[in-house]
Parts: sequence; structure tokens; C-alpha cells
Amino acid sequence: MSHIHIPDGVLPPWLWGLGLVVALTAVWIAATVAKRADVSRKVPLLGIVSALVLVSMSSEIVPIAYHINLTVVAGVLLGPWLGIIAAFIVEVVLALLGHGGVTVIGLNTLMVGSEMVIGWALFRLGVRVLGRRRVRVVTVVVTIVTLAITTTALVGIVALAGGGGAATRETGALDPASLRFQNPFGGGVFSLNALRGEAPALSGHAATELSVKRFAAVVYTLGPIGWVIEALIQAAVLGYVARVRPTLVFGGALSRRPSPLPVHAEVD
Amino acid sequence: MTAPLAYPATGHDHAHTYGCDTVVRVSCVKHSYEDGTQVDLCGLEFTADRGSRVAILGPNGSGKTTMLFHILGLLTPQEGEVSVLGVDPARDWPSIRRRVGVVLQNVDEQLISPTVFDDVAFSPRQYGLPEAEARRLAEAALDLLGIAGLAARVPHNLSGGEKRKVALAGALVMEPELLVLDEPFEGLDPASRADLLGLLLRLTEERRLTTVMSTHDIDTVPEFADFAYVLQPGGRIALKGTPAEVFEQAEAMARSNIRPPVLAELFARLRDADPSAPHAALTIDDAVEALGRWKCG
Amino acid sequence: MDIRAIDLSATAGRSRLHGAAAGAKLASFALALTAIVVQHNVLVVAAVGLGIAALAVASRLPSRMVFGLAAYPGIFAAVFAFAAAPDPLTGSLFVAKAVGAALCAVVLVCTTPYPQVFAPVQRIVPEVVGDAMLMTYRSLFILAEKLDRLRVAVRLRSGLGRRHPLLAARATAAALGGLVLYALDLSQREYDIMRLRGYEGRLRITIPPSREPAFDAALVLGAAAVLAVAVWFRLAGAGLTPYSWLPATLGLLALFAAVSWRVTRR
Repeated sequence: MSHIHIPDGVLPPWLWGLGLVVALTAVWIAATVAKRADVSRKVPLLGIVSALVLVSMSSEIVPIAYHINLTVVAGVLLGPWLGIIAAFIVEVVLALLGHGGVTVIGLNTLMVGSEMVIGWALFRLGVRVLGRRRVRVVTVVVTIVTLAITTTALVGIVALAGGGGAATRETGALDPASLRFQNPFGGGVFSLNALRGEAPALSGHAATELSVKRFAAVVYTLGPIGWVIEALIQAAVLGYVARVRPTLVFGGALSRRPSPLPVHAEVD
Repeated sequence: MTAPLAYPATGHDHAHTYGCDTVVRVSCVKHSYEDGTQVDLCGLEFTADRGSRVAILGPNGSGKTTMLFHILGLLTPQEGEVSVLGVDPARDWPSIRRRVGVVLQNVDEQLISPTVFDDVAFSPRQYGLPEAEARRLAEAALDLLGIAGLAARVPHNLSGGEKRKVALAGALVMEPELLVLDEPFEGLDPASRADLLGLLLRLTEERRLTTVMSTHDIDTVPEFADFAYVLQPGGRIALKGTPAEVFEQAEAMARSNIRPPVLAELFARLRDADPSAPHAALTIDDAVEALGRWKCG
Repeated sequence: MDIRAIDLSATAGRSRLHGAAAGAKLASFALALTAIVVQHNVLVVAAVGLGIAALAVASRLPSRMVFGLAAYPGIFAAVFAFAAAPDPLTGSLFVAKAVGAALCAVVLVCTTPYPQVFAPVQRIVPEVVGDAMLMTYRSLFILAEKLDRLRVAVRLRSGLGRRHPLLAARATAAALGGLVLYALDLSQREYDIMRLRGYEGRLRITIPPSREPAFDAALVLGAAAVLAVAVWFRLAGAGLTPYSWLPATLGLLALFAAVSWRVTRR
């Protein structure tokens, strides 16, 4: 579960607003750290790895319509700081494609960014413990653990949204008995009760709350299928790169010498 | 230096005078890559004088791109010396970068900005010129290449020929003294190739640009270059001279896995059959003239 | 998610919406999106979606692509609704919001070249983020093309079928492995190019001037009116709820008019 496919307007403003503030702060700190050295090398690297993640997302596994994310691969290649920036770029582009909500860009950045950061940290730890020859095994374990953590974070977000009064919704419901539209709430949207920590004033109608338990049951049932597919693919990709260019996997993409092979990697 | 041979003119004014105002010099540069491949650009010294058009020929793996990368300061020589506009490009590239224009092999990767206009204006903006001046320079470069109509387009929707013209506009926007072209005709259809060749000839003539070009396209060399260098596998610079001089040395060319242009081969076979046949003419006009003279006795 | 098709629609389209100033479209997008976010009446949300759909049809956007893209988050919203919504009506609201908001974004990117959409974002984010964002845009097309070629090569050389999920996953992984290496080499070459061309930081984008300022103003005013109606319905609460069918009907009529116009002016 890499990014939240929760639409705009479902999460309470305080939650997505807080997500946006935290994510932008993290991106700003990451950009400040990234700018300290060799920034002209980082800009194309960031752009291309972000594009790589986006292109991988557009590649569906037929016929099960599962799309890959490559977030752990991107984290291993970029490291934590650049990973956070890449996550932000990916989410902005996805939001513009209608693939993730615009208001949840912040929360999505934090989710994908944490996948990259946790993936990077666990991968380094795993390689240190199991050795460089076990890249595939390490990647499978790391990807599954990382996705389990971020999925739990997603359930946490829904719990935060669903647990309080802020998640209550009016629906403009049509009463089948009277064939009249009913308004469950009297309070206006700009009263922003949630910001004051109060439940909205109800006018005799039932408030609707997100069912966290059912949501958790669904994502923990369906999620592991995706985790395993993702883990196997990311393991194959990282294993391939580790065999061909080990420095990229064990030292990160910036560990290469500044002098490259000539164009098209052949001596021409 | 090989002694200049008495060959008929190929239609160019061979103004190449050794060392009078050398813009580029590469002296026995050695470079080894991460994978262990060794390139030794030794043998003859490579030079390009002001206003000359120099072609670098050689098979795959001979080190043509390596030579260009050294000229552009992208690689640091482990041995030997490189001098471009009087400085070591690997060390002092910032001091000469405004004076050097570059079009690399894969132009798609060279077009960085999201629109054609922004890409051509890239260098002036990065050099901190005022926006009005950057725009003026970009518009002038687009006009020069005849592609003002593409200004608002995005690069990835252009044809191969158009992309190359945009890359060339980006390379010429700062009015450089030296133009470095890596395989500029690769992947172009014959019409686009002829179009680009005509354009390059006009621009280099008009601006008296020193041009260094690596190419596999042997047929463009007599038309474009004043001077040619031939590299052997491993990087050794085996031949240098005017295109006519170089293409006459069939054996040395064969050692470099280079087949001479069709016209050169035709005239060589004619001379085998009839020693009175004329020396190689490398352009169609010259060939028509030479064969006409021969026919009339 | 065919980014190339979206880009082609944005750059090659000739409708008035395509010609409108990017700033006006972005402002309208923000207003329409806010309308969807603040409104919790499913019929009003649907009305906004229908209005945007009418705009897409009238602008001759490729219907299958636009509605396909907009429907995609709808599927996830449906799963989310199934998992978390307390009743079907709330679930349908989630789906309507997802599709409506996605439709807003898709119509924006299908009528506005990416650089112009990114320009305002690039100006407010740190330099390294903004420049990398623009590099992402350029690289997307290079990498998408490369991945297509790699996929075909892997499939042809291995004889892998498309229908078997495990084999398809293996082919995709092999192609992606090659793509990762290509991408990292590409980043090195891009760095070289930027160095050669004098990169000092902060790529700049030229924003073309507006072709029809009056249309731009009308667009923003229209979007502002939509937001005003949404807020009015939200604030008025019970008083207006019985009339929720009105905006929905208007949206349907607008869509019908747009389809008729498109068919008759084919």
C-alpha cells in the first residue's frame, strides 16, 4: 500500500493540513541538506529516479492490474534525504494525474517518503547482518516489513480520521420514505468544529463514522498479496543491479565516480 | 606530421595551417575506464586550428567519444595533455564554457528544459544574463536555425532532425568559437541529413567556427571537413590529412575498419582498370568534372 | 496512466480551454477542487463533476483517456468505501469526490502543458526540488520509451506470455532492472550536459501570454460561482438540501449540451 487512494475531502482538514505542513517541512529540511554539496549532480539524479518510480507505476502486471512502486529501490539508490524529495515530486505528479488526491499530497509524501527511508535503513541493516551476497533475500524481507509498517500507518491515519467527530459526514441523503433529501447536520463547513476538537452539532440524525476495524481487516487481508508481489519484483530489480553495478546498491547512486563511461556506456 | 601529398582539390579551401592558431590540441592522452578498457589517444597529435572543420573517424571502440569527452573536460587524462582555447578543459572548464558549443550524440538527453525556447535560452539564463538579453539571444539562435516556429513546442514531440536543430541552436546561442559535434548525422533520414549538413556548412562558414566532429558517416566527411583524423581500435591516431589525402590511403583505412566513400572506391577501381583515369574526386560535382575531362581526353 | 497521451492532448489541443492562461486554469482548478472538498452532499459533488465533464467534452479531450483516468481513483475509493464507509450513501460520496477531484486534475493536465502547471509550484519550492521536478518531466518520456523497448525485447527474447501473472511479473522485473541501470547512466549524462551548458541552479520556464483574457476571466468566475454554490449549499444546510437535485440536473444538462455540440460540430 504505497500511496493513499483516499479521495480529496474524505479526511478531515486538520489531518491532511497537518500532513501537508509536516511533509513540506521534511522536504524543506531535505532540500537544505541536499544543497550542501554537489547539488548539480543531485538534480538530474532526483529527476530521473522520480521519473523511474512514476514509470514503474505506469507498468501494470497484466492481468491482475497491480502496479509496481519501486519505492525501496529508490530509497536504496537515493538515501533518506533525496528519498523524501523524490517522494514529494512523485506525489505532486500523481495528484495532477488524478491518481492521488491533491489535498492528501502531504500525507502521501510522508507515506512514500517513509517507505523510502525505512527501506533504505532496513536494507543497509539487512546487508550488514546477512552479507552482500543475500541482496534478494534482504530486499524481500525489507520490502515486506516496510510495506507492513506503512500500511499500519495508513490504518492509523484512517483511525485518526474516523475516531473523532471530524469524520462525520452529511450525505444529502434521499429518504426513501418521504422522497425528500435530508440534511443530517446543521453546522456549516467553516465552523470547523474539528479544529476545536468538538463534534459537529447534529440535528437529530445519525453521524456517519469511518469503520476503522473493517478498513484494517480489508487492507491486512488484501495488502499482503501486494507486499509479496512488490517484494519479489523489487528483489529481482535490486538483485540485478547489485550483480551488474554493486557500488550503486551498496553505496548509493551518488557513490559513483564523477567521470562517467562515455555516452551509451561504450568506448566509442 | 605526414608530408602533404599532391591531391586534387575536393572543392574546399584547405586553409588548415598547422599550429598557426591552434584552438584544440590533444597530445597522447591515455584513459582507462572503470571496466578496465584502455584508450590511448597516441600516435599523431590531434589539433584543430581556428576556423577549421575537423572530422574524427574510427570504428566503434576506437575512442572517438573519449577524445571529445577529453576536449569537453568531462574526462581527466591520466597521462598526456589536452588544451582547448589555451586552457586545460578538465580543470578550467568554467573559464571557457561560454566559448564552446556542444551537440552530443543522443540529443534527446541533451534537451533539458521543458520547451524548445526554454532549452535554447538555458545557457544565457544560467550565465546570469538579464532575461531580455537571454530572450534576444534565444530568438536569434532559433531564427538562425530556421526553427522559430518550434519555440513553444515540447522537445519530446519533435522529429529527430528538429531535435538536432534545437540542440544546435542551444549550442550556438552563446555565439561560441568552438563547436563540438558527436555523431551529428546518426539516425537521420537522408533528407534531414542533407538539410543539417547544409546548415552546418553555412553556419561554420559564416561564423568562422572551429568545428570538431566525430562521425561514422564517411560520405559527409569530404563535403564537410577540411581535415580528418583516423583512429584505430584502442585509440591510436593513425592518419591525418585532408579528406582526399586520408581516403587515398586505402590500406591504413582498412586497418581502421573504415571503408572509403563510394566515389573514392569508384575512382580507385577505375585507376586499377585504366591508369589514365583521374585521381579520386570526393564530391559529386568534382567527380562529374573529372570524368568529363577524362572523357574528353 | 499514459503520460505521453496526456502530454500530447495538452500540447496539441486547440480548444479555447487549451488556449486559456495557465494561471486562470490553475485558479479554476483550485476553486472547483475546494468546492468538491467542502461539499458533502453527494448530488452537489456530482453536479460539479458533471460540469467538469461537460467542459472536457466541449474541449474535445479524448474521452476514453480522460474518463478512464478519472475513474481509476474511483475504483480505489470504492474499495476504501467498502472497507471504511458506514453506509452505501457515504460510500457513494467517497466515490463521487474521488472521481470529481480526479476529473478536475485530469482536465487541467490534459489542457495545460506540464511546464506551465509546474511553473507556479517550482517557484515556491526549494531550488533543488523545483529543478528536479522539471527534470522528472523530461525524463519521464525518455524512460517510458526505453521501458517499452526493454519490455518488448525481454518478451521477444524469453517468449514470455502476457497472461501468466508470474511470468509477466518476471518480464517486468527484468525490464525494470535494465531500466534502473539505464536511468542511473542517464542521470550521469544529464549531469554532464548540464555542466557543459553552464547549469548554476534554478531552471526557468517561459509562461506564454494569455490568448483570450476575457475567456480566462469567465473561466475563473465560473469556477468561483461553482464554489459559491457549494459553500452556500453547505452553509444553508437543511434549507437547501431538498433542492440538491437542481445543481445535479444543471450539470446533466450541461453535459448533454456539450455532447450534442461535440457531435454536431464533428
